[in-house]
Amino acid sequence: MQFELDEDRALLKQSTRELLEKEAPLSETRAVMEDTPEGFSKPFHAQLGELGYPGLLLPEDDGGMGALAFAAVLAEMGRVALPGPFLDLALGVRTLSGCDHEAAARLGERARAGEALVVMARLEDPTRSDPDAPEARFEAGRVRGTKTFVPFGAHADALLVTTREGLALVERPGAGFSATPLPTIDHAQRFAEIAIDEPAELVAEGEAAARLIEEHERLGALGASAGLLGLMERALEITVAYISEREAFGVPIGSLQVLQHRAADMLMQVESSRSAVYRAAWSEEQEPETAAYLTAVAKAWAGAAARYVCGQAIQLHGGVGYTWEYDPHIFLKRTKTLESFYGSTRAQLGRALALRQPTL
Amino acid sequence: MDLHFTPEQIAFRDEVRAWIAENLERPFSLEKRDPKHDADSLVEVRRAWQKKLHAAGYLGMGWPAEWGGRGASEADEALLQAELAAADAPQVPNFLGISLLGPALIHHGSEEQRRRFIPKMLACDEIWCQGFSEPGAGSDLASLRTRAERDGSDWRITGQKVWTTFGLWSDWIFVLARTDMDDRYGGISFFLVPIDQPGVEMRGLKQITGESEFGEVFFDGALAKGDHLVGQVGEGWRIAMTVLSYERGAASIMYPAQFDTQLDGLIRGVHEAGRAERDDVEEKLGRLVVENEVMRGNGLRTLADLAAGNAPGPESSIEKIFWSEYHQRLTDSALDLLGPQGQLVASSPSARDEVDWAYEYLWSRAGSIYSGSNEIQRNIIAKRVLRLPSGK
Repeated sequence: MQFELDEDRALLKQSTRELLEKEAPLSETRAVMEDTPEGFSKPFHAQLGELGYPGLLLPEDDGGMGALAFAAVLAEMGRVALPGPFLDLALGVRTLSGCDHEAAARLGERARAGEALVVMARLEDPTRSDPDAPEARFEAGRVRGTKTFVPFGAHADALLVTTREGLALVERPGAGFSATPLPTIDHAQRFAEIAIDEPAELVAEGEAAARLIEEHERLGALGASAGLLGLMERALEITVAYISEREAFGVPIGSLQVLQHRAADMLMQVESSRSAVYRAAWSEEQEPETAAYLTAVAKAWAGAAARYVCGQAIQLHGGVGYTWEYDPHIFLKRTKTLESFYGSTRAQLGRALALRQPTL
Repeated sequence: MDLHFTPEQIAFRDEVRAWIAENLERPFSLEKRDPKHDADSLVEVRRAWQKKLHAAGYLGMGWPAEWGGRGASEADEALLQAELAAADAPQVPNFLGISLLGPALIHHGSEEQRRRFIPKMLACDEIWCQGFSEPGAGSDLASLRTRAERDGSDWRITGQKVWTTFGLWSDWIFVLARTDMDDRYGGISFFLVPIDQPGVEMRGLKQITGESEFGEVFFDGALAKGDHLVGQVGEGWRIAMTVLSYERGAASIMYPAQFDTQLDGLIRGVHEAGRAERDDVEEKLGRLVVENEVMRGNGLRTLADLAAGNAPGPESSIEKIFWSEYHQRLTDSALDLLGPQGQLVASSPSARDEVDWAYEYLWSRAGSIYSGSNEIQRNIIAKRVLRLPSGK
């Protein structure tokens, strides 16, 4: 038994951390989040594409590195609260590769190189963050329907649209495509509601489409859980640093037992999330029969855990934690987005109960 | 990363599972419900179970072969404990002797002490209790005041110990006592003391469950033979801390296995009560399932760290807090979801069979206090893991 990542993946994790700290530190990306229409750095995402990151979830003989590497990278991106569609793109690349279709393959090549942004459009009811049977239709070579909370949908080059007939690929939209921005509490996220009446290709149908969508949701839940792990890990670090320095009543407030116990509770949430997230990623690679269950467990746990840790990060920073200037709110906001999507905490609790199985 | 047990470990697990199916007549919760039993006869049930485990070679598996060991790893020990817990097997009377005193004697005791005490402890011909905590020294154990004074080549012990598990049924007690009143840590020594003697009075300590599984013991010049000092004078604290660190690890996947069995019972009960479809019930059960599985993930990680040769560090505090507080959430939820039936004590004819919820509900309050209260565990995490500053 061994919990640590093997050498290749540990190396990837380390080099990703160095890349992110150099190219996308929060001190620089905050301006990008606030001042650009797309909310993320296009040059940096192009760089990620050149380095092959969007292809992480591809089969290993096609340059992918597997679920553990995917989780490690997403956790690193969570640590810097990296804005942008990386998770959605990596899932899109993976889904495209699973479609036995020429247009999908062609687009997949561009997407994995960071030259095209392709994301899945699956939600239709803005009151629910978990997809249901779609109303959208693919008929006579066209997709008609309305999708909501499409991640970075207004900036995508193509959408994988879930329809009653299967998975439809809509390339760079024309007149029959309108995107309405949906600003949320996370000002870095660029969700859009998209009305589509466009020519499209049906790239997967029936069982194959259902399997791809299920896999997209499961890997999405894994990636979101890993992102949540990174967010809370970093939120705890900056909080421990802050309360170790900040003085009140003549002592560092981190020496006060009530704050120490709060921080201990935060650490329990973080470390338990680490166990759960990497265990789920490991099962995806090594024990696929438990992957759906363990991923539901990881997502249900990490969502609530990150919400607690990032909320307490604000609390322990005191008044400055409530200011726009300090970073804790960035972590709290991203946490909410990741917690809500790819299976909300509540939905995953139900899934975990339904899928419960012996794991030893 | 690899969370698989080896094929040998899985084979061992299967062997244990089959052995339990063959040898355990019924879960201990049902044993406790049987009106033919009283506290004394339940201890005999436990004793008989320990003898069976011993005969099968399942006690002290990680010890040197001379003392019955079979070179077992922490993972083997953990798998054994998980199987026993899942089957609701009785706890053996000498569990503290085996987890604490055994390692103390093996690592710090004399050859003569090992020969005299270990075989009878393993065979349960002698039951041991632990004399560490005192009324004035619980979480702050080093403030203990029980003292040992020289009497020729022997020692005389005077003071009081409390929370002596199975004290009323014990033959011997291992005691931390002061041989120097001023040296906080270096003034503590480790003694082996027979209970059946004039200077020792053992009393049952009635707990909130109504049982007296714990005791309190009063020493008034009780005799400890000179050759029943473990290690050197003044080494008691170091020995105790070393063996306490062995206490965890093996338990890492035991609690999730035990709680799984209880969760099975709860889910069955909720279905029978026709409440399973309710949204709030699904959410509550889902949360319990998720938390228990996360706990098992933490446990597997601990076992993996142990297998890699990393000693269990302060992170074991996380496990202790997790299982003890989970036990409280689980039983809280059970008594809520099962309605008033959950409150029925085992002697009530309408009580549920699968788990003695009323007992578990009360017993769960002990876990967050014993073995280092959860407040102490949080102090340890804050100071040794997070390295938060000390006060003035």
